Amino acid sequence: MTIERERVLEVLDKAHNGPVYEERDFNIKVVSGSIKKAVKKYSLEKTADPANPVNMDDDLADRYYQAGFDAAVDIGLLCRDTNRVITFTREELQAGIDAAPVEFWLGEGDQRVHYQHREPEDTRLPVWTVPLSIAVTEDVFLPLVEGLARIPQVDALEGPSLETVWGRPLRSGSPYELLAGRYQADLMREAMRRAGREGMPMDAVGSSTTHYGVLGGYGVPGGYRPAYDLILILSIADFWTSYESLFKLAHASVTGGKYISASSWVMLGGYAGGPEGTAVASVAYTLLMIAAFQGSRIGVPPFDIKYMGNTGRRAQWTLGIANQAVSRNTEIVVHSINNQVAGPATKMLLYETLVGMTNMAASGVSNVVGTRSAGGRRTNYLSPLEHQFGGEVYKAAAGMSREHANRIANTFIPKYEDMLKEQPDGQSFEECYNIETLEPTSEWQQMYDEVRDEAIQAGLNL
Amino acid sequence: MTNEVFEKIKRAIIDGDSELITSIANELVEDPTSLNAAVDIAIDTIRIIGSQFEDGDVFLPEMIFAAETMQAFMEVITPHLEGGSARVTGTVVLATVKGDIHTIGKDIVATMYRASGYEVIDLGVDVSPMSVIQAAEQANAQLIGLSALMTTSMPYQKEVIDLLTELNKRDKFWVLLGGGPVTPEYAEDVGADGWAATAGGAVPLSEQMLTTAGQPTTTEFFRAEK
Repeated sequence: MTIERERVLEVLDKAHNGPVYEERDFNIKVVSGSIKKAVKKYSLEKTADPANPVNMDDDLADRYYQAGFDAAVDIGLLCRDTNRVITFTREELQAGIDAAPVEFWLGEGDQRVHYQHREPEDTRLPVWTVPLSIAVTEDVFLPLVEGLARIPQVDALEGPSLETVWGRPLRSGSPYELLAGRYQADLMREAMRRAGREGMPMDAVGSSTTHYGVLGGYGVPGGYRPAYDLILILSIADFWTSYESLFKLAHASVTGGKYISASSWVMLGGYAGGPEGTAVASVAYTLLMIAAFQGSRIGVPPFDIKYMGNTGRRAQWTLGIANQAVSRNTEIVVHSINNQVAGPATKMLLYETLVGMTNMAASGVSNVVGTRSAGGRRTNYLSPLEHQFGGEVYKAAAGMSREHANRIANTFIPKYEDMLKEQPDGQSFEECYNIETLEPTSEWQQMYDEVRDEAIQAGLNL
Repeated sequence: MTNEVFEKIKRAIIDGDSELITSIANELVEDPTSLNAAVDIAIDTIRIIGSQFEDGDVFLPEMIFAAETMQAFMEVITPHLEGGSARVTGTVVLATVKGDIHTIGKDIVATMYRASGYEVIDLGVDVSPMSVIQAAEQANAQLIGLSALMTTSMPYQKEVIDLLTELNKRDKFWVLLGGGPVTPEYAEDVGADGWAATAGGAVPLSEQMLTTAGQPTTTEFFRAEK
């Protein structure tokens, strides 16, 4: 599979010929209006059930899919550079979904990884990619990524994000980002070599949200490999896209890129409204990202605007039903993200991880990227141990029933839900790890051991 | 003014009914003695909606409609208010900084300011430092609010402040920073005047600034409570 140039051109044409909207009208009239219409048409009002964060009703999940499909056709993607909406007919949307791969392999040699479609309660093993693009200082980057690559449950690498390049602040949209693209690939490879895991798949480019990092690092000699790595196309506002994303698509096409990760997020409490509207928006945006960007790995998880995470009850419900809707009704490789808010060296981070990973495993998610330690708020606030725990839980939860995942959610959410707005930062990597030996402090290790025991008691075979 | 009118004002704002509020406001200006009381009711109502939004009980579209209704109300009322009104408002220029197209946080802040009677110049997203400064000067703004949602765009917040300093214009504006990865320590380090953790925190912080004597650069650092 390669990126089809004709489809790239069609999308570019739509971005220049589609209906014109001002941002406010698009957000309020088109997005909010279409979501409300779909919620009503499929009788989804008040179907959210935060008391049971993991949905167990297949028919309901299917109705959310249908509502999301309708909303995708009604809404489209607003290209902010042209103020035109990229729209798809029902047939075009379905053709995009049908063209997405059911499975694919990334990475090289003994580090090849099988990405495959999963359904709810599927026993097939999911893929664990770490970490998210949380900022780290240059001195910490290598030991941290080496520590992450040493974890057996880790399959692929995405972040972290460099705060500086050769001591200079990494400015978004500047030539520094272009330099960072290749620089990060070099650092990641060195970390893999030190961990004895050369050839692992990578997501390009964790340090750069704009297209410049991809232009500088993907498909260039010594950079990210078009045949073995994913190229990240991340739209960062609800139902918006931009030249940045379209540049990445075009770059994937001209470099012989094969696999695109097309993703975004939707704000729970934002333009889509409450959990029901946000779940519809998540499905709709997912389908649009497949059609527009030829995504191989696709997902649009929610963020709860109340605390900028998704580990609370209503966000977990939204996350679960949206993932079930897509994984039950398509054959695509569903991607999702657990957005924790607590930092390393806190039990809360591990509880949030336990709840989110079991929900996603049981809801048919094929590939999770995580962990969002400390909500991604603070430089160097992530460590290998929470990623090890996330991988252990995610893989052990393959085949878990949604009823069991729901019991786990109801057991562990009460341990942290009152703290979702307090958001303990925990400790930085240097504080909770010995960077030389890459071992956690005894305090952090003990927290992990205790929560791991609790997870085992809750029925996880860790 | 009767309780019935109070209730109508509240209802119109909650329902986002700009037509109704404009008609109420046009009736109210016939009797200027009750205007301050009407404004107080409207402000209380919009603040309650803001709190409900922060608690997750009201969603963004409803809050935007309510803020737009409030704005429609104030447009009619403001020219008739006595000079003795205790309300503090000003002009604020808002932008998500260069290299960053996150919009929703900045949209919410804009809504909160508008709801509180501020004039808002919303420059949108991915805005260059010099464009922010030019817009603030052109609008004769007192406040500049800069949003960054990525660590790689945060340097542009600093760049606005650095440019203001180098152009000898730093004392003309209060500069507030916000956004997920932006900490109060960072805001203080780069020379901002204030930082707010939430959209709801920006307005009271601004009121604090605008009621403080002295120029922006000579005052201490402010921090809005969570």
